[in-house]
Amino acid sequence: MTGSSSRVLANETAPQSATSVTGSSKKVRYGLLHNETLCIGCKACMGACKETNNVPDGVTRLEIINSVYIPRTSTTRAVRQYFRKSCQHCENPPCVSVCPTGASFKDALTGIVDINDKRCVGCRYCIAACPYHVRFINPVTKTADKCNFCRETNLAAGKKPACVEICPTHALVFGDLNDPSSEISQMILANPTYRSKVYLGTEPKLYRIPGKHGVIDNV
Amino acid sequence: MFNAFHFDTLVWDWPIAIYLLLVGISAGMITLTMLLKYYVPAEYNGKNPIVMATAIVAPLSVMIGLVILIFHLTRPTAFWHLLVFYNPDSIMSLGVMLFQVYFVFIFLWLVSLYRDELLRLVGKFNKGCLFSLVRNLSAILQKRRQWFENMLLVLAVLLGCYTGFLLSALKSFPMLNNPVLPLLFLASGTTSGIAVAMLVGAINQRFIDVYKGTLHFIHKIENPVIFAEIFLLFAFFIGLLLGDGHKNLSAHNALSGFWGGVFWIGVIGTGIAVPLVAGLLRTSRKQMAFSATLSLIGVFLLRMFVLYAGQMTVA
Repeated sequence: MTGSSSRVLANETAPQSATSVTGSSKKVRYGLLHNETLCIGCKACMGACKETNNVPDGVTRLEIINSVYIPRTSTTRAVRQYFRKSCQHCENPPCVSVCPTGASFKDALTGIVDINDKRCVGCRYCIAACPYHVRFINPVTKTADKCNFCRETNLAAGKKPACVEICPTHALVFGDLNDPSSEISQMILANPTYRSKVYLGTEPKLYRIPGKHGVIDNV
Repeated sequence: MFNAFHFDTLVWDWPIAIYLLLVGISAGMITLTMLLKYYVPAEYNGKNPIVMATAIVAPLSVMIGLVILIFHLTRPTAFWHLLVFYNPDSIMSLGVMLFQVYFVFIFLWLVSLYRDELLRLVGKFNKGCLFSLVRNLSAILQKRRQWFENMLLVLAVLLGCYTGFLLSALKSFPMLNNPVLPLLFLASGTTSGIAVAMLVGAINQRFIDVYKGTLHFIHKIENPVIFAEIFLLFAFFIGLLLGDGHKNLSAHNALSGFWGGVFWIGVIGTGIAVPLVAGLLRTSRKQMAFSATLSLIGVFLLRMFVLYAGQMTVA
């Protein structure tokens, strides 16, 4: 293992990349998979995130949005599908390139997009620039805030992000996209997946397995 | 119900529009004054009311704009981070650099243009070494005035575009993520600079009597600038309408409803059509002041419109 400084903790705590003892020179690139076929919309993830990361009332780092609802009929059960709205940890994050002070950054060792609170001046350029609209001003720190895969909380403690740990249906899979043997890589290879707004060139690292049901657009 | 001033996707609100207006006025006035130097050299001097107005308004409006901006931050006390930490990828950070260079050159230009006045002022307080220091330094600056003026013209054009680039970097909003925006803001910023100069001229009979060449030059360029602005507005919206679904939707959303009304009545009607028609009539001081005020209102409404309507439709 390379782990000498605390900066490499990402590698050591990577739940799936624990096997990568041999080729640890390759960088970790964390991603998340939201399996919409398993998500039941219980929102336990939202509560766990709030508690773990001390997110104040009135704001949230993630939302579970009801995307498909088909009412039950006499012969079928009701269908509900959910969409996870949270930071996509883009490969090309617009929030990072617009930030005038470099407070918004992409961690070189993990690919996690995060904010250095000390540097943030609160200009809200990143909030405006994020095509996923997942950033907000934390009412306590007065700085931009969003999901950082629990980089300073659970990941630092060697655990998976709070939302992933608490999910009762295992609808969330977290791991290293650079490691082909990781659970997330295997899941992506074995399932149809999509990512949000890829046409913007942001290269999001939040993969999604679409639910089984679609909706007809009301034009 | 949809509220035109408060909606979910709105991030930057009206104080930013005031800032955009003030920066545009500053850039427009400097551009106008430096063009005077080339096209009406006989009347380009520190006594010309338009040059004097530029000397006061150009630095002051940017300063007020930046103060508004600082107090619009969620952490105003941390504003100095912007001066210490830079990100060359960020348009805003490049703007911070531009503002500093702009201020330096405005200062150098003012010292070289108003050297006699400065020396008289310093002479009142100090006849000794401070006076001779100021005299010697300003003599060096005065020799390079030509250079400062050329640089200021370039910097003012960049500043006029800057606020457009600032918004066009937002790929989250398809209407703002538009390459025409910097040029549109440059043209309308120049219009606002001309409007402020006209207001100053209109309240000053000496200007109209003595600086006929300046007045003639301003009259000669004001309409072409407005025509350029009309064409850029046209290109801006045609580009959106011919673009992908999001761009197309953003144009339709912007040009209808409350902000559509602001655009058609405020920007096109009040800010462009009425001053253009008034310009065809016999010119008087009252008419000058009237048209200039309406253009200024139009320029402000254009910034409000672009800012708010631009944030209504997301990618």
